[in-house]
Amino acid sequence: MDGSATAPEVIRGEASTAVTQPLARVPLVLNKRNFDWVTNRISGAVENPTPRWWWVAFAITSAIAVWGLTCIGYQISTGVGVWGLNSPVGWAWDITNFVFWIGIGHAGTLISAILFLLRQKWRTSINRSAEAMTLFAVICAAIFPGIHVGRVWMAWFLAPVPTQYAIWPNFRSPLLWDVFAVSTYFTVSVLFWYTGLVPDLATLRDRATSKIKKFFYGIFALGWRGSNRHWRHYEMAYLLLAGLSTPLVLSVHSVVSFDFATSVIPTWHTTIFPPYFVAGAIFGGFAMVLTLMIPARAIFKLQDIITPQHIDKMAKIILLTGSIVSYAYLMEFFIAWYSGNEYEKYAFYNRIFGPYWWYWWVGMLFCNALSPQLFWFKWCRHNIFVVYFVCMCVNAGMWFERFIIIVGGLHRDFLPSSWGFFTPTWVDIWTFVGTFGIFLSLFLLFIRFAPMIAMSEVKIVLPEADPHHATPEEHHVVAAGGKERT
Amino acid sequence: MKRVLQHPAPSQTGKQYWRSLGELSDTPEFRDWLEREFPAGAAELTGDEVSRRSFLKLMGASMALAGFGLNSCRKPEMHLVPFTKSAEWVIPGKPLYYATAMPRRYGAMPLVVSTVDGRPIKIEGNPLQPDSEGATDAFAQASLLDLYDPSRSRRFVQKNKLSDRAAFEKYVTELRPKMAANGGAGLAFLVEETHSPTRDRLRSELEKQFPRMRWCVFDPLLSEAQRFSTQISFGDNTRLIPQFDKADIIFSLDSDFLNCGEGDLASIRGFTSRRRVREAKDSMNRLYVVENHYTLTGAMADHRLRFPASQIGAITHALASKIAVATKDPDLASVLITLKAPTKTQKYDTRWLDEAAKDLISKPGASLIVAGPHQPVVVQLMVYAMNAALKNLGTTLLLRSLPPSKRTSSILQLASDIDAGRVQQLFIFGGDPVYNAPRSITLDRKTKLALDWPDLQKRVPDVVRLGHYEDATSALSQWHIPAAHYLETWGDGLTPRSSYVPIQPMILPLFGGMSELDLLQMLLGQPKMEGPQLVQETFRQTAPPGDFDAAWNKFLHDGFAAHLTPKDQPPKFNGNTAGGVAHTLWTNGATVPTKDSPEIVLIGSYSMDDGRYINNGWLQEMPDPITKLTWDNAAMMSPAFAKHIGVKDGDLVEVTITEPTPKPPPPAKGKPPAPTPPPRKPIQRQLVIAALIAPGHVDNSVTIPLGYGRKHTGPVGNEAGFNGYLLRTSSNPHFIVADGRGVESVSVKKVPGEYALSTTQEHFSIEGRGLVREATLEHYREDEEFVKKIAGDEELPKQLPSLYKHPPLTAPQQWGMTVDLNICTGCSACVLACQAENNIPIVGKLQVAHGRVMHWIRIDRYYASAKPFNQDHGQWPEDPELVHQPMMCQHCENAPCETVCPVNATIHSEAGLNVMVYNRCIGTRYCANNCPFKVRRFNYFDYNQRPVGKKKIGGVSVYQEYLGPLTEKTTADTIKLQKNPNVTVRMRGVMEKCTFCVQRIEEAKIAANVRAGASDKTMIPRDSFTTACAQACPTEAIVFGDIADPEARVSKIKAQNRNYRLLDYLNVEARTSYLARIRNPNPKMPDAGAIAIASLGHGHQDGEKQGGRAKKEHHEGTPQTEAKP
Repeated sequence: MDGSATAPEVIRGEASTAVTQPLARVPLVLNKRNFDWVTNRISGAVENPTPRWWWVAFAITSAIAVWGLTCIGYQISTGVGVWGLNSPVGWAWDITNFVFWIGIGHAGTLISAILFLLRQKWRTSINRSAEAMTLFAVICAAIFPGIHVGRVWMAWFLAPVPTQYAIWPNFRSPLLWDVFAVSTYFTVSVLFWYTGLVPDLATLRDRATSKIKKFFYGIFALGWRGSNRHWRHYEMAYLLLAGLSTPLVLSVHSVVSFDFATSVIPTWHTTIFPPYFVAGAIFGGFAMVLTLMIPARAIFKLQDIITPQHIDKMAKIILLTGSIVSYAYLMEFFIAWYSGNEYEKYAFYNRIFGPYWWYWWVGMLFCNALSPQLFWFKWCRHNIFVVYFVCMCVNAGMWFERFIIIVGGLHRDFLPSSWGFFTPTWVDIWTFVGTFGIFLSLFLLFIRFAPMIAMSEVKIVLPEADPHHATPEEHHVVAAGGKERT
Repeated sequence: MKRVLQHPAPSQTGKQYWRSLGELSDTPEFRDWLEREFPAGAAELTGDEVSRRSFLKLMGASMALAGFGLNSCRKPEMHLVPFTKSAEWVIPGKPLYYATAMPRRYGAMPLVVSTVDGRPIKIEGNPLQPDSEGATDAFAQASLLDLYDPSRSRRFVQKNKLSDRAAFEKYVTELRPKMAANGGAGLAFLVEETHSPTRDRLRSELEKQFPRMRWCVFDPLLSEAQRFSTQISFGDNTRLIPQFDKADIIFSLDSDFLNCGEGDLASIRGFTSRRRVREAKDSMNRLYVVENHYTLTGAMADHRLRFPASQIGAITHALASKIAVATKDPDLASVLITLKAPTKTQKYDTRWLDEAAKDLISKPGASLIVAGPHQPVVVQLMVYAMNAALKNLGTTLLLRSLPPSKRTSSILQLASDIDAGRVQQLFIFGGDPVYNAPRSITLDRKTKLALDWPDLQKRVPDVVRLGHYEDATSALSQWHIPAAHYLETWGDGLTPRSSYVPIQPMILPLFGGMSELDLLQMLLGQPKMEGPQLVQETFRQTAPPGDFDAAWNKFLHDGFAAHLTPKDQPPKFNGNTAGGVAHTLWTNGATVPTKDSPEIVLIGSYSMDDGRYINNGWLQEMPDPITKLTWDNAAMMSPAFAKHIGVKDGDLVEVTITEPTPKPPPPAKGKPPAPTPPPRKPIQRQLVIAALIAPGHVDNSVTIPLGYGRKHTGPVGNEAGFNGYLLRTSSNPHFIVADGRGVESVSVKKVPGEYALSTTQEHFSIEGRGLVREATLEHYREDEEFVKKIAGDEELPKQLPSLYKHPPLTAPQQWGMTVDLNICTGCSACVLACQAENNIPIVGKLQVAHGRVMHWIRIDRYYASAKPFNQDHGQWPEDPELVHQPMMCQHCENAPCETVCPVNATIHSEAGLNVMVYNRCIGTRYCANNCPFKVRRFNYFDYNQRPVGKKKIGGVSVYQEYLGPLTEKTTADTIKLQKNPNVTVRMRGVMEKCTFCVQRIEEAKIAANVRAGASDKTMIPRDSFTTACAQACPTEAIVFGDIADPEARVSKIKAQNRNYRLLDYLNVEARTSYLARIRNPNPKMPDAGAIAIASLGHGHQDGEKQGGRAKKEHHEGTPQTEAKP
């Protein structure tokens, strides 16, 4: 079955006519695509022969991933000294990358859980890949706390394992909370993502042409037949998992921020961190979702499913969270000044004018605070290049922000005698680049082997899924995959 | 659950098998036993309802967990091999202590060495010896590592071929009659100064056999000028002993008398004893320093004047004139009368000298003027005359009689003898003259060209070299004999204050080396002495009457000859002789160094001394106390001069010294004039060296520490630094200035290229933070609680509320520490003592540059200036004040590191120690991040097991630490011998830090428990032990003890009002506290307002707290200080 052969090639421009009618509710799927088109188009991405660009892209990303893993192997075998860390900067790119990747994950969970609970139907077009992105980002993030320790082979001390030593982990340490928070987050995210995948996997199973595909999709589809009972249980499970995930969106990055907020280091020791970090995470995460979705929708010709309306909404969220983050930036400076604490004051002065000044001016001020302000303008939200530019700015800016918080705080703290400077080594750089290789490789595998858009959910938001829907030009019946929602 | 296992019934058919006679006989007892066996065994388990089955379950589970934890599979298999022949008196696990001494340039340093299983592991001062009182310095601490240096010379070499001891003995046997034939005329010795009476005795005996032999003492940093001046001023065999504890006013002219490296720890303690302020009404001495670069002494000064080293003569003359006018002393007048005032001098504030002179004059008999040993004879004579005029002789300056010593000749005389062909046989003991003898040491008789030592040494037919390394001198010698370390040999010495001390071996020579005494004994044709007979023979001459063995044993036990009391001479200054000598040597037109013709000052290095410690990793990595530079030396210059020649830190500069063109020899009479020889080029001495900007350095002056750039040593020192000796000539050994006579021009210019310098502290501005707190004595008396008004400490509540339960501090003894910043000189002995005690590895130059130095105690050094400067904007203070602050784990009661460790690897003990559990540490580095003092050290590489530092592999220079598993996992066996067995050797990936020497605490605890026996008197006696840093500290600035005991020294010190804790507002409740520094400026001095300013906030601090004081100084200050905000 060739999806593209059966579906008419109607690829409309970005500024769809539908959007120009201000009063009419803009349909979530443009051009009146029917269930069949949706199934064919999305399954087609998995079922069609592997395109050449995929092989090229996968070869590049996996090579980078392998090289990154080699760097990690080198670091583990030789010592953390192959990175540029020193005293006073005991954490730098390692934890920056950890926070960066963890933060990216949050958008996926927000889209899939919170927007689901809030009945934001537009989420259906993007939630699957955003959740996948979450998982892969968390995998990349989890690498760093694992490898950054001096004795990786002893990292199991972090787990509350009863040993004959009778020593438990230190439950007061935020690093331990991190371990619990991230592992919970990953587990729930995997379950949530997989649960949502089940009906679609069944679709793929049903459409599979080879025995192997049938077998594996069959295994993972868990015998899904689309029965009423199945749907009932599925919906309940999905709702429960959404409920479970929702606090995680807020908690995980709050816990990550505790790594800093509970310390005594100026610029770390800040009560504003939990909301600031969560906003930052959603901010960065949405930028990464757009970074991935904009090329994907062009390549797989999904402009009718991921419409300008979706991009517009995500841009608005970026604008909102970006403004929260900018407010937090301002508030940090205000509090530093208001506190009268000379160490705090110096630390923030140093952030702007110290050795890492350009990280702040470029990363935090331009990329994070100023560039999203373009999204006040509708034209900018609807110009794919402007959107992409802003997203790239935010991606970079959020990495810089974490770097400034971590290294900027550490490199000059209380005693000027121990002030230092951090310079990354090639191992630092390649380990980070390597995680992009891992992330993109996993994402490429995902779009190759799993439906990147939740077919069943998209169908639910099509007009024909509504039992009361009856417009003269629509003759479709509600297909098996669709089900009425209340 | 209980089951009784039934023994199977015996089969009734076939063969009968039985397992015991009981079974065969099948008695009722046997049956009973058979049935009872299992239940009887299981009975122990049934008591609490645990069946065998559940027991097995539990066992299985714990086995599984044990397997999961892999607790038994972590360590490689090691073997313990018992001694086949034990060291004497050894009780396993107990150290033995022996008194010994370390020979030094100005006298032996009395020591006590701890040995474990026959290997010395730690050096301390000898607490019984009154000059030592248990203190040591960095060199003594580090000399332990030299003992174990695997690259020390370990073979006899003859003409670059491997030889052995027997061959050398044969050679000496054959040599003796040859030398005796002409009374030893061609025989010469070139030795270092060791102050050993036994060596002197053997030398006398040797002179009896070879009356015409030459004995020459050479040490590149030994001051000939001072010896000569003392001789003519006070007669032969006199040594000047300064009594700093009796001096109220001290004026130092380029004298770094607080440099521990010179070994005179009694002077340092004497000086600091007058700065140990207990309360505001205590008096303090006052120190004036005139010097060209910051020294440890300059850092302690109350008033410091930057002045070129070559101009010290001029300022001494000015000072002497003022004192002569005031005191009308005839001897001083007779010295000065013939000296014309210099025509040109470096400009300085004359009020400064006026007031200082008045201060000195106001304290006759309680002042002291000291001159640097490297200043010329005239300066020394003027200084002696001034001290005499101020009635200081006999009070603050003692004239100590030394045992009569034989005349020795200098290396210059030896050089001219060699040139004249009078030396056939040369013995060189120690030193490395090829490396460090002065250049242009003599003029060739025929060509009148300057000769260097290597040329001369090549002219000697036979050179025997006794050396620690096969170095440059060995390469030009016929014989190289490995020298034994002082910890391997018998010997003796005189301390700087001429107390007689023994040198005992701690271990047999590790590498088969010989001592000087062994070699002299061999040359005497005497049999080899294994024991102390040679020293005993010397001791016998002065032994007290009575039982010799008892006296000898007491001598060895105490580590000094208590029955010998040094004698002092009546204070008599020989003014006329001195005046005559001064007149002949005085040049009143000394050139003032200028921007384009600066002076070059050559000094001994705080780390390398004269270069003898070049292969000592501990000293290489010890930050210079002033510049914080490791692994290298550099050309130090003032910020203004650096700007003038356009260099920044690490830029290469070329120092060129041009000497006048030598004249050709006059044509011999009678012969036709030879064809005109080609015009001779002027001699140019050049050194390309990295520049280092040193605030507080005088302009137009460049200081180069000697002792680096020594090739041909071990791998540690091979690439370290630049060889300043290349600039050093016999006429200008200490400073070089273009005076038109010996030196035509001096130029320092930038050359392309940069050199990586590794410093341990990059930021030197204290940024107005109240970390080092100081005040003037006057201010302290006005406001005794001034220390609490800095950094807002007085506003803090007594006890901050806490949400958490803190670890209980329930132990009867609670450990704490104080550091008195008023008497810490910054000498770094504590850094090295800690390194030796706690098995701290070195990390190499690159890793120091990366900020990964491992020292558990570091000495922070800040510059403070009345005029604010922003270091980030490239601003440098020109003439700042310098403060030191030793910084180690503060053992916070409320430690930020403890809460953040996820695996409980750093926790609090009941005795208040912040303890580190290496086995538990996984290396998240979170604790180090959260430490406000940044005193935690992380093992970024496997420093203890894998090599660090540069190595050529296939022509490419790589740092081996980055090769990780590709390098061999090994340490030299001798380095392992050095390790303290009571301290874990840390592996890669774990955090470490100061433990308050917990091993010493535990040792004391065990000893107390043993002593207590069944009684409950298990308290460790008050102040009965201390940490390694406190023990080594020459000034007792660091005090450790039980803060729960109000009578302990540390508690009494903590009760003083100068006591403060760092970063108190963080509520960390540090156990280590500091005592504020008090400076004692003379209020009449022009710079009085700019003294004790380190804790005055400026820049980012509002200065509100010290507002009163700052304002006050604003009014009093000179125009220089008007710029204060």
